[in-house]
Amino acid sequence: MSKDYVQQPGSNSDVRVDGKRVAGKLRFNPPGSGGSRPEMAERDMEFIPELQGGNEAQPAGAHSHDKYRTGTTVGKRTPLVDAKAKVTGQAWYGDDVRLANELIGRIVRSPHHHARVKSIDTSKAEALPGVIAVSTGADAPNKFGVLPVTKDEHAMAVEKVRHVGDLVACVAAIDEETAREAASLIEVDYEVLESVHDAKKGLQDVDDPIHWRGKYHIGSTNIQKRVFQEFGDRSNLEDSHASYSGKWKFMGVNHGFTEPHAVVAHWDSNGRLQLYTPQQVPHYAHRALATVLEVPMHQVNVIRTFVGGGFGGKSDPFPHEMCAAILARKAGRPVRITFDREEVFWVNRGRHPSNIEIKMHADDEGKISGLDIDALIDGGGFASFGHVTSYYNGVLATAPYELGSFHYTGARVWTNKPASGAMRGHGAVNTRCALEVGLDDMAEKMQVDPIDLRLANLLPPHSKTITGFRITSNGMRQALERVREGSNWDEKFRKMPLGKGIGIGCGFFISGSGLPIHWDPNNFPHATVHIQIDMDGGVTVHTGAADIGQGSTTAVAQVVAEVLALPLELVHVRSHESDTSPVDLGSYSSRVTFMNANAAISAALDIREKLLDAASEILSTPSEYLILNDRRIYNKRDPAEGISYLDALHKSQEDKGALIASGAYRTPPMGGVHKGAAAGLAPAYSFSAYVAEVEVDVEMGLIKCTDVWAAHDCGKALNPLAVEGQIIGSCHMGLGQVLSEQMVYGRTGHLQNPNLLEYKIPSVHEMPNVTPIIIESCDPEGPFGAKEAGEGPLLPILPAVVNAVYDAIGIRINELPLTPDKVWAAIAKKMKLENIADANDLPTPRLDFSELQEKLLQRSSEHAKRDVLRQRSEDTNPYINGVLFGFDPNIPPEEQDGGWKISVRPDSDQIENLGLAGSAWTKVEQRHMGGEN
Amino acid sequence: MLMPPFELHRPKSVEEACNIAQDLISSGQEFDWIAGGTDLIPNYKWHINTKPHVISLAGIDGVSNISMNEIGCMARLHDISQSGDAHPLLSQAASKVASSLIRRNATLGGNLCLDTRCFWFNQAEEWRSSIDWCHKCDCGTGSDCRVIPNQNELCVATYQGDIAPVLMVLNATAHLIGPNGARSVLLHEFYQLDGMTRNILQPGEFMLKITLPDDVSEWVGSYQKLRVRESWDFPEAGAAAAWKKGDRSTLKVATTALESIPRRHDEEVANSNGDVKEICDAIYKSTKPVNNTALPPRYRRNMIKVLVKRACEE
Repeated sequence: MSKDYVQQPGSNSDVRVDGKRVAGKLRFNPPGSGGSRPEMAERDMEFIPELQGGNEAQPAGAHSHDKYRTGTTVGKRTPLVDAKAKVTGQAWYGDDVRLANELIGRIVRSPHHHARVKSIDTSKAEALPGVIAVSTGADAPNKFGVLPVTKDEHAMAVEKVRHVGDLVACVAAIDEETAREAASLIEVDYEVLESVHDAKKGLQDVDDPIHWRGKYHIGSTNIQKRVFQEFGDRSNLEDSHASYSGKWKFMGVNHGFTEPHAVVAHWDSNGRLQLYTPQQVPHYAHRALATVLEVPMHQVNVIRTFVGGGFGGKSDPFPHEMCAAILARKAGRPVRITFDREEVFWVNRGRHPSNIEIKMHADDEGKISGLDIDALIDGGGFASFGHVTSYYNGVLATAPYELGSFHYTGARVWTNKPASGAMRGHGAVNTRCALEVGLDDMAEKMQVDPIDLRLANLLPPHSKTITGFRITSNGMRQALERVREGSNWDEKFRKMPLGKGIGIGCGFFISGSGLPIHWDPNNFPHATVHIQIDMDGGVTVHTGAADIGQGSTTAVAQVVAEVLALPLELVHVRSHESDTSPVDLGSYSSRVTFMNANAAISAALDIREKLLDAASEILSTPSEYLILNDRRIYNKRDPAEGISYLDALHKSQEDKGALIASGAYRTPPMGGVHKGAAAGLAPAYSFSAYVAEVEVDVEMGLIKCTDVWAAHDCGKALNPLAVEGQIIGSCHMGLGQVLSEQMVYGRTGHLQNPNLLEYKIPSVHEMPNVTPIIIESCDPEGPFGAKEAGEGPLLPILPAVVNAVYDAIGIRINELPLTPDKVWAAIAKKMKLENIADANDLPTPRLDFSELQEKLLQRSSEHAKRDVLRQRSEDTNPYINGVLFGFDPNIPPEEQDGGWKISVRPDSDQIENLGLAGSAWTKVEQRHMGGEN
Repeated sequence: MLMPPFELHRPKSVEEACNIAQDLISSGQEFDWIAGGTDLIPNYKWHINTKPHVISLAGIDGVSNISMNEIGCMARLHDISQSGDAHPLLSQAASKVASSLIRRNATLGGNLCLDTRCFWFNQAEEWRSSIDWCHKCDCGTGSDCRVIPNQNELCVATYQGDIAPVLMVLNATAHLIGPNGARSVLLHEFYQLDGMTRNILQPGEFMLKITLPDDVSEWVGSYQKLRVRESWDFPEAGAAAAWKKGDRSTLKVATTALESIPRRHDEEVANSNGDVKEICDAIYKSTKPVNNTALPPRYRRNMIKVLVKRACEE
């Protein structure tokens, strides 16, 4: 009979085995081995790398963390540690926080797109019985914003409102009914201003720009940020063998997370602010609260509740968080604000509506000699993350393909709409879609297979992109090969009947942003993790990493458990409060697993060393002979010679008490020196390739995506279950953008569909069969080789579907989402042009290979060999973008080719010939116009 | 989201329901009927045309019966879709309404009396105030129609029920009851323009049941629904066709979600000599959807040709 611990002694007889949680009827493994079990569990050799004597294959080579693998949890399908709390309804989200004496806050919002606030009369609201506090912008004049360079938000309108739904005032009352009534009693006198709704108009000079940046303001336009980048030699592009040119339009999309924003603010008995909020980035909210409320940061405790979905939409510091704190301070009572869905859409921060023009060129060997991108993105009323988005739309297109030249013009404009911001796949999704469709089109023109075209143009592992990003591990080639095989591509592509199609798309994304936004990376780490173990043997891990459902808490717990060879239930992650968690940048840019798990490993190694030292002393055996396994430390030459984990722990606690360790991670120095070089810089990059199969109803234009083969290179799947979940979830989210989701602004400029009935997130019926394929390229800097899997997997689904639609009906549509009306209109147009009476008689594209196909196959097979050697670090010669075009990787290309440019400002003779977004460069900053303010 | 307060009346019989309605009318108080509530409650949450009194039909016995020839007003759409007793065409249409969760509450009567919809109208109160309201819910401002501006006499909100066209082509009769007694009317004559009037129900009247002709079990046909997603979505256009098996001369066609009322197209069918393409073209010509739903009207109108064609397929 087992002597396992149970919560309630004596209740062993009816322990439930069906997984249901019943208090007192749960089994726990005993802490410390040697308790009930005479022997420890055997080492799980299937999860110990082969180069360490285990059975886990390592096709991508060794990793510096290999020797800390204990076969405990890394690589195993592990249910998330907070899953039970969520499925049993015990997880506490923003609106679940209930404090005694709470008041309900309600926000008064602008009914106008753009207006000056002349006066606000709150007297009627204040006189209403049950109203405890009323506040307006005058109470909080300090600006804030997620990026230090673009702080342009206030808690409530100080001078102007900038979109319908912008915050004007707020009230706190004893209940929601009273709060709503009070909000309706606040009288605001507006002077309505001319509003801008079209991003193209945002490029023009106007009388009253939405924001005013003083001497740095660009003309009197609504241009918030403009970017120019030119790399490489563009002199021969006119003679290209094949080219693509496409003008794309992408509608804005919202994250559509389940949990609307909610916040509870409470000034405690010591006068400190306790703020409960479902934040992805609690630290930035923390900073902004201190600024707006004018209190030191140490007088604010930000408590991150469970987050009911973030996807980038809960990463800005939000004005409603300020409002709750201001109201609570005035009222002397806790204040809770929970959004209606309309308010979620009004605060938005979703993907930018974008006008993107892509031009691509290929030479007669099928090499990509030129990539030109022009991206005009619609920022809405505030800057949010837009400064970064403006770069990402260009620079994240510079891989995985080797480019002869790269030219990017980008502009972000303010318009009188809810602000756009960061959303899963931040800034990379739209250009990636256009680019991958462009490649498909060029393959068609060159009569080659689009997968082979890609395989023959990949940057190898351990190389540099054209703008200087450092590529380390790179599983792009395997990803392409696996989806080709899985989807039976060669039997289907350009061979299926009308209405059925198959398409390919690839993705490339950052695994953690290379620079922390708020401080110098040389002085402070990106992530810090504290570990504490007391006498009971339980391991408490303190991290600021915000688990937003992606599983960061599980990842951190896993790596600690792995290093210390402890069961997962002995590791407790504490990550909710800024009072106890070390500063962390938060959950954005797919940085958490990479950076936090690295910091956690570093802290765990410190503890491991202390335990080994203690064991070494007790056993009189050098610590390099000792092995950690399942709560026991023993001599690898004689496993019988060993001690329990608890014995070692207690020994190392002598005279000191609890074991405490701190670990940190910072990115190595990397990247170029040009302006904007830091944007898109990451310690590692993820790669992915998807094949999608679709059915198109040619009479109605309805698209049904039936199957997706989704390969993603996440370096090393710490938890394959979670990686697969991210891949499938990304498919769902990306399918929404490609097929049905859009923020529709109507004739009057109002957001026409701010609800989940009319904002059309795909239902379960629209979900295809997704076959997730995990590629493990073993990143040298990732924790145990891991890279991101949260955002990159979204990218390829869009172009894969668009390309599949072309395969099915022979029509390319450059406007997302591909709603049935657009598809039908395109079909009708083609039928008219080609004089086809019945849609069922539409021609479908077919492929006859040209001579180039054979050349590509040959090149990609040579590259495949090259890539294996480089991936395994058996070939460590430098490789830069340009080698494919004959450049010597040891000499900067600009020194080898007089025509090779590196430029971040357009030359005066270029300015008039730039694209739509590029036309932003025709405007002059105020300081160069003699303007002072 | 809070609904404004209202008094909920819960009659136990049809008679009691009529009496409550009569009393409220006599005292000049406004009220709404509520059946499953899946249409009314969302509107109330958005503060759209709310009333101080609501009379629930849920407590009335014997009005949720389902058979081939008679269906009670409180029969749940889920039960209709699963029932072996109802006409297969009706079950098929019921199974396409909204989502499984909503179908468990939604009723036949509620679906047939569904309020018309419009993206200028089905919005939260704050949103509607930002466009200065609209004709259908003007909040006392005498506001203009936002779909077709500069005319404030007609509401063009769209009827988006799935069941009505199917019952129309099966020659269903609607049985209405109210303080002034009972009456029966063919379902295709039940609906009445405009988007605010919607149907012929008089104050205090409600739909008690639907009956179908004796030979309805011999009728076959199909319902075709255009929607973006296979769940949740209201029809963007819908077409039902039915005929007595083996006798195409009995063909009936009806459409929904194109105008403020569903319509049976007897004239178009009669003038087409049974040629489906001609029927499609004639219906295309006679329907004029407006821009107030998720998909553009030009597309919806064109799709009616495909939907009718597919509905008529044998």
